[in-house]
Amino acid sequence: MIRFTAVNKFYGGFKALNAVDLIVKEGERVVVCGPSGSGKSTLIRCMNQLEQHDTGSIEVLGRTLGDDLRATDQIRKDVGMVFQSFNLFPHMTVLENCMIAPQLVRKQAAENAKDVAMDFLNRVHIQDQASKYPSQLSGGQQQRVAIARALCMSPKIMLFDEPTSALDPEMIGEVLEVMTDLAEEGMTMVCVTHEMGFAKRAADRIIFMSKGEIVEDGAPDDFFASPKTERARSFLRRLDLTPSTH
Amino acid sequence: MALVQFRDGNSGIVVGEQPAAGTSISSKARLNGINLLVSAIAVALIVWALYWIVDWAVIRAVWTSEDGSACRVADAGACWAVIHVRWRIILFGLYPYDEQWRSAAACLVIVVTAILSCTRPFHTLARLTLLWLVGFGSFIALMRGGVLGLSSVSVNDWGGLSLTLFIFAAVSITGMPLAIMLALLRRSRLTLIGKTTAIIIDVVRAIPLLAILFTVGVIIPFGLPDALVGEKLYRVIAAFSLYFACYQAEIIRSGFQAIPTGQEEAAQALGMSYRQRVAYVLLPQAFKAVLPPTVNQFVITFLETSLVVVIGFFDVLASGNAAFGTAKWGIAKIEVYLFVAAIFFTFTFSLSRYGAYLERRGAPNAAK
Ligand SMILES: Nc1ncnc2c1ncn2[C@@H]1O[C@H](COP(=O)(O)OP(=O)(O)O)[C@@H](O)[C@H]1O
Ligand SMILES: [Mg+2]
Repeated sequence: MIRFTAVNKFYGGFKALNAVDLIVKEGERVVVCGPSGSGKSTLIRCMNQLEQHDTGSIEVLGRTLGDDLRATDQIRKDVGMVFQSFNLFPHMTVLENCMIAPQLVRKQAAENAKDVAMDFLNRVHIQDQASKYPSQLSGGQQQRVAIARALCMSPKIMLFDEPTSALDPEMIGEVLEVMTDLAEEGMTMVCVTHEMGFAKRAADRIIFMSKGEIVEDGAPDDFFASPKTERARSFLRRLDLTPSTH
Repeated sequence: MALVQFRDGNSGIVVGEQPAAGTSISSKARLNGINLLVSAIAVALIVWALYWIVDWAVIRAVWTSEDGSACRVADAGACWAVIHVRWRIILFGLYPYDEQWRSAAACLVIVVTAILSCTRPFHTLARLTLLWLVGFGSFIALMRGGVLGLSSVSVNDWGGLSLTLFIFAAVSITGMPLAIMLALLRRSRLTLIGKTTAIIIDVVRAIPLLAILFTVGVIIPFGLPDALVGEKLYRVIAAFSLYFACYQAEIIRSGFQAIPTGQEEAAQALGMSYRQRVAYVLLPQAFKAVLPPTVNQFVITFLETSLVVVIGFFDVLASGNAAFGTAKWGIAKIEVYLFVAAIFFTFTFSLSRYGAYLERRGAPNAAK
């Protein structure tokens, strides 16, 4: 589904991704972790071309991304993304947030888009807030709306970039629960998160990044039991000292 | 100069020390006394001014007088007779007397079109465009004539309120899309386009409106072949519109800057195209952020329309000048200006009320 081959990405002179090779198969749940600034966001944002890579090749859902802008448009329809800062549209109601892209991009009729939206708002347990504006919701509720909004496009892959990092601790659970449900339904997911409980529960694979490189890539049990590199060991040690932050 | 300042500063200190020298209670009492005195004086002044105005504008006012002679008696108040006798000149300028109903109807068309375009059902691009095409079409048909059995009237004879409204409406309706386009070009990712747009905007903003109007109204006809010149009114509207657009573009740009980058990224991630992102995500948020300065810009533009008088157009202010410009009515200058001011006030005040209404309507979802 996703194939990175020798991908490099520069910000000016700074190398944010260094010769990254990665394959994510259909139905796989991959958790990406690593210290701040290690290139996790850059990696995941290359998957739907919010960032353009410089060299190497990225193939998503059978299309090669890069100069072909039509391929990028096509991929964005089929790849959903959830951001750390929710990024709901503040001038639209919750329902409108969920209906706008299916109507504009998938050319769905309004009633159809509304049915689909209400269905997904139900699934994230927020149907009774449909007519409110995002600013009237709590952070956890907003993030669940953001997940529903992405799902309304019926994506084949879901990308999450630290979806719980901006949330108060008591709201993290409700968002992770929705993500766990999604994982159990078999959605292909790439998820940047430091919620190691979620990783153990829901992930098939853990990728550990450091300084723009993929340093470790393996099953969660192996990664937590016996990390192969010193960098991963010290990362895990620091996480244990300060659980559920960053 | 320095000496004067020094003395001022010195006396200020002395005055400041006096209350501090007494006990705090007596200084408080003295302050209260001063407050009371100042308030009493202010109230007295206001009452006196109100009395004077009512006396002048209502009690002693002359409401009718065919030739203005009643206004010239010793204790006559406001000469509203001038409005009674000359209102058609003020509102319609030099437009042929028997056809002035057309000018009135044309005003009404513009006002109704403007009000309709403020209502929800017309808030789609297609309907708004259609509405204004019909609005301007009927305005021009009414004013110019030559169709449907209406006699034809030269643009040079258009004047008064209908001309003012027409220029304002045309400038706003053509200037706003132009402003949006300039604001979008200015944030283009291609630096050449962005820089060029920035230079155009800055150059236009650096030239006084008077100079621009004078150039397109008077100078361009000398330099260009007749076929390219076009009618003066439309040249002026085009130039005015560009001027409006350059200011409004900067206002809109500041609105774009107020939007977090995550908004555009979210829209991109949902697969929305550039146009869709601009139309559904960026512009609605930008306009909400810059509503007050935008209303301000409209009000300023409405008032600036009276500058067209310098190139020979008879807007409502210029026709007002004509209304007292005879020996009979020369005394009624203030009354005519008050009347014209009331007309301007009606329109600009409605504009700012509508702006306030829009702000209130946007309030619940703008609240953090
Ligand atoms: N737009 C940008 N311009 C310049 N440097 C950037 C930009 N985005 C990220 N970086 C740099 O790239 C590195 C990786 O960033 P990022 O992928 O956001 O890391 P992570 O998500 O793992 O914290 C960081 O050092 C960051 O400073
Ligand atoms: Mg990040």
